[in-house]
Amino acid sequence: MNTDFVIGQAYFWICAAVALAGAFMTVIAKNPIRGAMGLLLMVLAVAGLFLALHAQFLAAIQLIVYAGAIVVLFIFVIMILGPSASLPSPTESDDSHASPPPSRGLGLGTRTFGAALFAISSLAAMWFLIRAMPALPASPKERLLADTPADFGSIEKFGSILFGPALVPFELSSALLMVAIVGAVAVARGRTRADLVVRNDKGRTNPQNAAAATGPAATPTSPTSQEAHS
Amino acid sequence: MAFAFAFLLSPLLVVAGGALLLMLAEAFTSKRGRGDHGDRASGLALGTTVVFAAGFAFSLGVWLGDIEAVAGADALAPWIVIDRFTIFFDGILCLGGAITSLIAGGYLPEHKLDRGEFYSLLLLSTVGAMMLAAAGDLLTVLLGLETMSIGAYAMTAFRHTSKRSAEGALKYFLLGSFASALLLYGFALLYGATGHTDLAGIGEVVKVGGTHSPMIVVALVLVLVGLAFKISAVPFHMWTPDAYEGAPTPATTYMASVVKAGGFAMLLRVLFTCFGDKASMSWSAGWPPMLAWIAVITMTVANLIAGQQESVKRMLAYSSIAHAGYLLIGVVGAMHSMPQASATVLFYLLTYMVSTAGAFGSLVLCGSRGMEAVSYEDLAGIGRRHPPAALAFSLFLISLAGIPPTAGFFGKWFVFRAAIDSGFYALTIIAFMNSVVAAYYYLRVLVFMYMREPAAGMTTSVPMRSGYVTAALLLSAILVLLLGIAPSQSLDMAIKAASIFGSS
Repeated sequence: MNTDFVIGQAYFWICAAVALAGAFMTVIAKNPIRGAMGLLLMVLAVAGLFLALHAQFLAAIQLIVYAGAIVVLFIFVIMILGPSASLPSPTESDDSHASPPPSRGLGLGTRTFGAALFAISSLAAMWFLIRAMPALPASPKERLLADTPADFGSIEKFGSILFGPALVPFELSSALLMVAIVGAVAVARGRTRADLVVRNDKGRTNPQNAAAATGPAATPTSPTSQEAHS
Repeated sequence: MAFAFAFLLSPLLVVAGGALLLMLAEAFTSKRGRGDHGDRASGLALGTTVVFAAGFAFSLGVWLGDIEAVAGADALAPWIVIDRFTIFFDGILCLGGAITSLIAGGYLPEHKLDRGEFYSLLLLSTVGAMMLAAAGDLLTVLLGLETMSIGAYAMTAFRHTSKRSAEGALKYFLLGSFASALLLYGFALLYGATGHTDLAGIGEVVKVGGTHSPMIVVALVLVLVGLAFKISAVPFHMWTPDAYEGAPTPATTYMASVVKAGGFAMLLRVLFTCFGDKASMSWSAGWPPMLAWIAVITMTVANLIAGQQESVKRMLAYSSIAHAGYLLIGVVGAMHSMPQASATVLFYLLTYMVSTAGAFGSLVLCGSRGMEAVSYEDLAGIGRRHPPAALAFSLFLISLAGIPPTAGFFGKWFVFRAAIDSGFYALTIIAFMNSVVAAYYYLRVLVFMYMREPAAGMTTSVPMRSGYVTAALLLSAILVLLLGIAPSQSLDMAIKAASIFGSS
C-alpha cells in the first residue's frame, strides 16, 4: 500500500465527509443563511470529489457556477426577503442558545433521524453494491478504473468531446435551456389581463389606473403588482 | 448523408423551428397589436396548430418513405435513434399537441390567460417528448424527459391568480424532480455496472447475466420507480389529481395526452432495449411481476377512487391513472409475445390520447369564464340545453369506457387479447372487472347530462363559443370514430413500429 493510495483515500473520505456534513446542515438548519452555507460547503466538497476523478474542468465549473453564482443568488434572495425570511419566527430568533419548544425539538429530532436513517441506509446499500461488483460476469471494473490519459478532463479534451462525439446531446440541451427560460418567464411574470380587470373592477377607476390596465406587460416591480402577489 | 438525417429528423426539426419562429413572431407583434391582445394570441394558437400539423405531416412522410433504406440513418446513433417506433410516436405526439393547442386557443382567451408563452412552452415541451421517443442513450433520455417535464410544470402553474394552480404545480414539480432524481440514480448505477450509457450497449451487458448482479437489480428498481412516477402509476400517483385539477384545462389535456405518451415511449424503449433479454423478461427473475403488480394496483385503486369524485376534472385525472394501468398490462404481455403486445400498447396510447383529449376539450366547451364546468352538478341538464357539447362529451366518455363502436373499445380489446394470448388470465380478468367499474363513473356523467336538471337556484354553466375548441372536438371525434370502425390500418402501423424490438 503506497502513500499515494493512502493520500488518495484520505482525500476522498475527507471530501465525502464534508459533503455529507454540508448536505446534512442544509437539511436541518432553521436559519436559511445557515442552510445556504451548508449548501456551499457541500458544493465545494463535491468540487473536490470531481478533482479526485481527474475532472478538473468540471471542478472549476462547479465552483464558478454553483458556488459562485447559484449559492450567491440564494443568499441574495434571502437577504432581499429580509429578516422575516432569515429568522424562523420572532420568538426563536436566538435558537442556538434558547432551548427550543418541545414540539419543535421533536420535529427537528424526527427530521434528523429521518435524514440520518436515509443516509446510513444509502451508504449500506452502496457498500453492498460495491462489494457485489466483482461478481459481474463481464466486469467493466478494470476498464473503468484503468489509468486515464494525461489530458483526461482537461478543457481541450472536454471541448473536443462536447463538440465532437457528444454534439447531439449538447445541441439538444439548448431545447432544455430554452424551455426552462420560457417557463421561468411564464411563471414569474407579473399579471395577466385577468388580474388587471379584477383590480379595475374593485375600484378606483381614475384615468391613470385605466391606462396602466391596458398595458398587458406591466413591469413586475411596480408596487401594484407586488400587492397583487402578496 | 446530411440530407438523410435531416429527412429523418424532420418532424423534430419542424416543431423545434416552428417553436422558435412563433416565439419571435409573438415578441415582434406584441408591440404593434397591444390593443387587441386576444386576436394575437389566437393567431398564435392557429400558428401552433399549423406547426403541429406540419410535424404530423412530416412524420407521415418519413413513415411512408423507406426509413430502413436511408443511408446514414445511424449517423446520430447512439444519441438519437430514428426508427419506425420513433416516427410513430412523433406522429402521436404532434397529434396530441395539435389538439391541445386548439383547445388552448379557445380556453386561454376565454379565461383571460392568453399569453404567448403558453404556446412556446407547448411546442418546446413537445420537442422534449419527441426527443424522448427518439432517445437511444441515457443522456438524451434525461434531456428529453426534463425538457418535456419542465414545460409541463410551467404550463401547470400558468394561472397565477389561482392557489390551486400553484399548489398543483408545486406538487408536480417537487415529485417530478424527485422522480427524475431517482431515475438518474438508477442510470448512474446502470452506468457503473455496465460501463455504457447507450441503451443498446447496456442491453448487451445485461444480457450476459445482469439479473444476477445486485447492482443492476437495484438500478432496475430505481429506474422502474422513476418511470412509474412519470406515467403516474399507483403508488407513485399522488401528484396527479392535484396537478390535473389545478392546471388550466389545456395543460391538463397536455399532461394526459402528450406527457403520458412520452412517458410510455421512454418506458418501452428503456425496458425493452436495456432489459429486453430472456432472463430480465422472465417471470421468475425479471421485471414483469413487478410491473404486473403495479398494473393491478394502479387500475384498482384509481378506478375505486375515481368513482367517488365529485369533480369531473378530478375524475378524469383518476381515469388517466387507471388507463396507465391498462397500458402496463400490454407492457407485461410483451413478455411472451413481443411485437404484438407492445404494438397493442402503441395502439392503445393512440386511442386513449384522442379520447381523453376530446373529453377534456368537451369539459372546456361546457364551461365559460367565471363558471368553469367542474363538478357533476355543473353538467346537469346540459344535454337538453346544449346538445352538441353534450353529444361530443358522451362520445369521448363512451370511448374512454371502451364501448363499441369507438376507439377505446378496440384499444382495450387488443390489449386484453394480447394479455390472454400470453396466458395472463388473472390479469385480464382483473382489468376487465376494472373497466366495468370505470364504466360506472363515465356513464354517471351521461346520467347527469341527460337525465338531471340543475337544482333550483344553482348557477348553471354556460358553454363557451369557440371555433378552436369545436375544431379540436371535431378532429378528436372523427379520429375516435375512425379508429373505432376501421382500426386495422393504424394497428398495422403500430405493429410495424413495435417490431423494432424484435422477438427476442
